Amino acid sequence: MEALIWTVFDFLLITAMLALGWSALSTHSLRRGIALFIAFGLLLSLVWVRLRAPDIALAEAAIGTGLTGALLLAALRDEESAAGAASTEKPKNTIADYLLIAATVILALILGWALIDALMNRQYSGLANEVFTQLDRSGVTNPVTAVLLNFRAYDTFLELAVLLVAVLGIRSLNVSRRPYLKAGLVLSGLTVWLVPVLIVISAYLLWVGAHAPGGAFQSGAVLAAAGVLLRLSGYHGAGLPARIVIRRALMIVGVLVFAIIGLGLMVLGRGFLEYPLAWSGSLILGIETAATLSIAVTLIMAFLAGETGRAGNQEDSSC
Amino acid sequence: MLSVQMIYGLAGVLLFTFALRVALSQVAFLRRVLAINVAGAGLFLVFISAAYKGAGQPADPVPHALVLTGIVVAFSATALAIALARRLHRPSDDD
Amino acid sequence: MIDALIWVILIPLLGGLVAVLFPRIAGITGILSTAGMVFACLVLIKLVADSGPQVYLVGGWSAGLGISLYADGLSSLFLLMTAMIALAVSIYASSYFRQSHLRLHYWPLWLLLLSALSALLLASDLFNIYVTLELLGISAVALTALDGKRPAVEAAVRYLVLGLLGSLGFLAGVALLYAAYGSLDLATLATRIQPGAASWAAAALMTAGLMIKTALFPMHFWLPPAHANAPAPVSAALSALVVKAAFYLVLRLWLDLFGVSLSGGVSTLIGLLGAAAVLWGSWCALQAERLKVLAAYSTVAQIGYLFIFLALILEMPVGIPRDEAIAGLMLMALSHGFAKSAFFLSTGIIQQRQGHDRIKELAGAVQGMPVTTFTLALAGIALIGLPISGAFLGKWQLIDGALYLHDWLLALVVLAGSLLASAYIFRVLGQAFGNSPYPTKVLSIGMQEIPAMVLALIATLVLGLASGPIWPFLEVTVMSGRAGM
Repeated sequence: MEALIWTVFDFLLITAMLALGWSALSTHSLRRGIALFIAFGLLLSLVWVRLRAPDIALAEAAIGTGLTGALLLAALRDEESAAGAASTEKPKNTIADYLLIAATVILALILGWALIDALMNRQYSGLANEVFTQLDRSGVTNPVTAVLLNFRAYDTFLELAVLLVAVLGIRSLNVSRRPYLKAGLVLSGLTVWLVPVLIVISAYLLWVGAHAPGGAFQSGAVLAAAGVLLRLSGYHGAGLPARIVIRRALMIVGVLVFAIIGLGLMVLGRGFLEYPLAWSGSLILGIETAATLSIAVTLIMAFLAGETGRAGNQEDSSC
Repeated sequence: MLSVQMIYGLAGVLLFTFALRVALSQVAFLRRVLAINVAGAGLFLVFISAAYKGAGQPADPVPHALVLTGIVVAFSATALAIALARRLHRPSDDD
Repeated sequence: MIDALIWVILIPLLGGLVAVLFPRIAGITGILSTAGMVFACLVLIKLVADSGPQVYLVGGWSAGLGISLYADGLSSLFLLMTAMIALAVSIYASSYFRQSHLRLHYWPLWLLLLSALSALLLASDLFNIYVTLELLGISAVALTALDGKRPAVEAAVRYLVLGLLGSLGFLAGVALLYAAYGSLDLATLATRIQPGAASWAAAALMTAGLMIKTALFPMHFWLPPAHANAPAPVSAALSALVVKAAFYLVLRLWLDLFGVSLSGGVSTLIGLLGAAAVLWGSWCALQAERLKVLAAYSTVAQIGYLFIFLALILEMPVGIPRDEAIAGLMLMALSHGFAKSAFFLSTGIIQQRQGHDRIKELAGAVQGMPVTTFTLALAGIALIGLPISGAFLGKWQLIDGALYLHDWLLALVVLAGSLLASAYIFRVLGQAFGNSPYPTKVLSIGMQEIPAMVLALIATLVLGLASGPIWPFLEVTVMSGRAGM
């Protein structure tokens, strides 16, 4: 009986998610499409919880849906004011379109078959066993954090660099956003209450990531959300420090701390990012703290599209 | 467990291919960006479905870490794409 | 000592961070970082030459659990080429951007792009490769759009979208391979992979994704606008290094992972696309009106040669002819890297002097700058594949390999491509002989012209005449490769 309930639940969840995804991409109005995308993202977060991936659910809700959605809406707002909301969609009945549809159907069939084949004939069950056997040597008890910050820390290190490079690219484009009006009563009241709460939640997520779902990315994303909220309520600086040098330093501190710890360990005779067992937990926390700051600052700056605190200043902007 | 993996995995495949089609066709730029994000989500779904080990056991954490990385990378790319598009619409004064 | 692997990645990365914090010394930091990178690469090559391929387990975890780095002859030679070109370009760029506010943004992005290249060339873990691909792609796009003008930004947008689609294809393959075989490590996967739906689909997806990124015909259309509209030092890096990185991955995947058990009709398809790239790219280069557009299409053609090589290699059974073909491929790739970067850097010099790079109106500038013209000539020789250049040996090997497999058509295509290349190069060089005033100075902007000339000299003399010692090193690579072990 329980299995049946689960099956029905799965069926409903998947159908709703697919329907939202399809309509987000097919609806005529971009604004509606983005709103549907946000709804799709929230449903996707539920799917992650269903599939026992709470860390990803947190990150999806915060970054994949929340920040991305906010970014897209802001982009739409700028685009509409600049270009007068002209649609560039062409009519859909050319032969190329039919060919494309046919090709994607074939691709879906091939991929689906490949996936089923892979899942049914698996001889190797993945790296889970290795992770769990080595977990107590990793310094944390949350296996996802262990993978991210210890076993595969090098990937996380590079990923922070990806975020940095994207923001560096964005600021080189010198595109400033129009500021938002100072918020009305409801929004500013909400902001005054919500921002401190978000900061506390962010600190909690950072701390708890060692033994429960959470960690630097989720924490940084929540902090960034606080910054975006400030911006949307009319606080132009979005909570970022005013001095350029500090902003630059915060942008790179995540990658820098990672590199310094890695190098320090090399100098001590161990390998790059090869933590000694006794220090693993503290090193990971240290890296995560630096990473949280970097992630928050870079995410906010990505949203601001590289702009200063002062509205009129265009030359050599945010940093 | 296998059936759960398969239905979610196939749902991911559907999302991926449908979004890919939208990304490749003649649509507005923001829609294309949206489609790339949805396609990514479909792929992540495939990854996580394969990592699911049933209700009793914890899931395979490695794909979880990979998808977490993927979400951040996708956001970075989206942000850059949007900034580039914005530059096209309104070149800044010090051009 | 093995840490050289990590240093190659870390040096440019730390340089990039310094460049963000202290923009005033960014140029010096860039030059020092690239010099450090060259040094580290030399150490690495010595290590590989003495003790064979090197494996580095980051974090000390075993190859499944953690991420491993791998350096053999193939990757270390590509790395050395990357570092040397990077040094030359950095010296050039510190002069090129001297007056420009763009230098603030150029240096951090450039140094981080270099660290992405190193990380990619040393990667041996599928998801690690994906992350390095993204790092590379995003920094390349940002650099393409650097001057902020409309053509550059439009080209950058297209580059970004297509690059993302390519990465998604790659990631889809990774997902399938992990689902089927439970590992991300290349060496481990090579022992586990079997022909089957998952492997085939993964191979197709990953190759297709990488083909977009390496601009193989017909997915090449994003390249000419991007490379032609980026600033000269960026174009040099894009054509010589970034597209090669994607090709390196295709090579690595097929040699070490897929090629062992899959193959079949794939090589025919790859050969065909490569041939089309050679012919179409060379033809468009002939029609080009701007030097940079010509150079960009020439890159499209050169990538075609590399893929023809790959097609031949996949067809050959393991043995001496195959090893020689791989060595020839590398020589060709190296030669093109040096030659194309020299070509783009020279074009930049001309463009700064004249304000444009239109071929028909080159005469005055070209005759007034003998060193630059000399560089263009040398680079051109290497691009055509005339004797005394590395490319000549490479193409010789290519035709040799094609005839070994009785593929007359491919051999003919290679010859036709070389003919077309001669046409478009001599069209440019022909401008150098005319009635314009004698040059009064040999060097106009030393800091720009000398690095370009050195690169061109490497492409021709070093890789051509002095490639003797390199050849056995290249062959060592191949035999110590993991495929078939």
